[in-house]
Amino acid sequence: MTLRVLDPTNERVAALGTLAPRLVTLKGKTVGFISNGKEGTKEYFGHLAQMLKDEHGVADVVLRTKSNYSAPADAHIADEIRNWHAVVTGIGD
Amino acid sequence: MTLTSKAYEVADFAAAQELYHANGWTDGLPVVPPTAGAVEAMLEWVGMSADQLIGIEPVRAMPLTAEKLAVNAVMAGCLPMHFPVVVAAWSAMLREEFLLHGATASTGGCAVLVVINGPIRLEIGASSGFNALGNSDRATAAIGRAIRLGLINILDVRPGAIDRSTLGHPGKYSFCIAEDEEDSAWLPLSETRGIPRGLSAVTVMAAQAPRQIMNEWTTKPEELLETFAAEMRANQRHYSIYPGNYAIVVPKQVREHLQNAGWSKADVQNFVFERARIKRKEWADVGKGAVVRDRGESEYAALDSPGHLLVVAAGGPAGGFGAVIPPWLGHKTKAVTVAIDACVDCEPPKKS
Repeated sequence: MTLRVLDPTNERVAALGTLAPRLVTLKGKTVGFISNGKEGTKEYFGHLAQMLKDEHGVADVVLRTKSNYSAPADAHIADEIRNWHAVVTGIGD
Repeated sequence: MTLTSKAYEVADFAAAQELYHANGWTDGLPVVPPTAGAVEAMLEWVGMSADQLIGIEPVRAMPLTAEKLAVNAVMAGCLPMHFPVVVAAWSAMLREEFLLHGATASTGGCAVLVVINGPIRLEIGASSGFNALGNSDRATAAIGRAIRLGLINILDVRPGAIDRSTLGHPGKYSFCIAEDEEDSAWLPLSETRGIPRGLSAVTVMAAQAPRQIMNEWTTKPEELLETFAAEMRANQRHYSIYPGNYAIVVPKQVREHLQNAGWSKADVQNFVFERARIKRKEWADVGKGAVVRDRGESEYAALDSPGHLLVVAAGGPAGGFGAVIPPWLGHKTKAVTVAIDACVDCEPPKKS
C-alpha cells in the first residue's frame, strides 16, 4: 500500500533583498567592516584593512562592532552602511 | 481542512524513511510518516487551522504555521494530545528575548530545554520521576524531538546550515522534562514565573548539557546547595563567566532535605545567587590567564538576580544527585514561560 506523506520544510523562501551594484574598483573607496566582536575578528580585520589599503588602494576603512554577536547588527550600525561603498561582515570564529 | 504541504507518494514505510533521510529531513533516527490524516488530527486537537501563524522568526523573516509544526510533531512521534505543548513551546521560543536565531545557530551548540508544568503533564503521561533527564517517557521524548525536528526542517537549523554548533550535545535530540508537582511542597516553576496556579505552562531555555552533582553526605541545605553553586562556579570558570538563566534539577532525596528544613524555592534561589560567583582572576587557574587582563579582582555572579535561577523538582525517588543546566551564553537569551492555551480536558472537535 502506498503512502502519501508531507513535506516538513518551510516551503517558503524568506524575502531577500537585491544585490547592491558591484564595484568596478576598490581604489579610493570607503569599506566598512562589521565585526561580531569575537576575539578572532580583531587581528583578522586589522590585517584585512591593511591589505585593502596597500594592495587595492582603499581610501578608508571603518570598523564597527555589534553589541551582541549573536544578534543582527545594531540599528545605528545598519544606518551607517549607506555611507560606505562596500561592507565586509561575517562570522568571527 | 486544507493542507498546503507538498505531498509525496512512497511505496511503503521503508521508502518513506529513505525519502526523509535522503532530503535531510530527520535527526538521523527513523520518523513517523506524516500523512495528511495524522497531521489533521494534530491540528484538530488544538483547534487550529492549517495556516494559523504561530509566529515569525525575525532575523530571517521565516513564518511558522501550525501545519508545519504539526507535520514535524507527527514525525517526532507525538500524539495529538502532545501537540499543545509543542505549539506553546514554539510560541515561547519566538519571543524576542529568547533570541531564537542566535541560540540555534551559535557555535556554542546549546539545545532548547523544555519544562512542562500544570495539569497537562498528567493528561499526557509526562513523567518527572526516574531518569527525568533521559528517556523517561513517551510524551517528553516526543515533544522534545518535535522541537528539534521543527528547527531542522522549518528553519533549516541543520548541522552545517544554520546550525553552526561546534559540538552540540545529546539534548539536541530531545530535551524536555516535566516538573514533579505532586511529590513536592514547592511552587511549580511556572507559578514562580508568573503563571497562575492551575494553568498548564511551558518554559523554554537555551541550555547546555546537564552537569550532574552528588552530595549524599549531609542534610543541611547550605551544604547541599553549595555543591550546586560549586558546579555553577565550575561552569563559569570552564565555559562562560557571564550571568544568565541557569536551571537546577533537584530530585526527591535532596529536595526533601531542603523542604524539611523549610527552604522554599525562593530561599534556594537567594542562597545560590550569593554563592555562585567567581573572580575573573580564577580564569588563570584554568588556562585562560590571557583574558584576565587588569580586571582580576572583578567579581562575576552566575545569576543577574535570584529569579534567574530556574529551580525544577524532578528525578527518581532515591539518590543524592542533582543537576545544573547552564545557559547557552550569558544573558544574550532569556528563558521564557508561557501558558498553554488549549483546553486539556476537551475532546477533539467532531468531524462534520
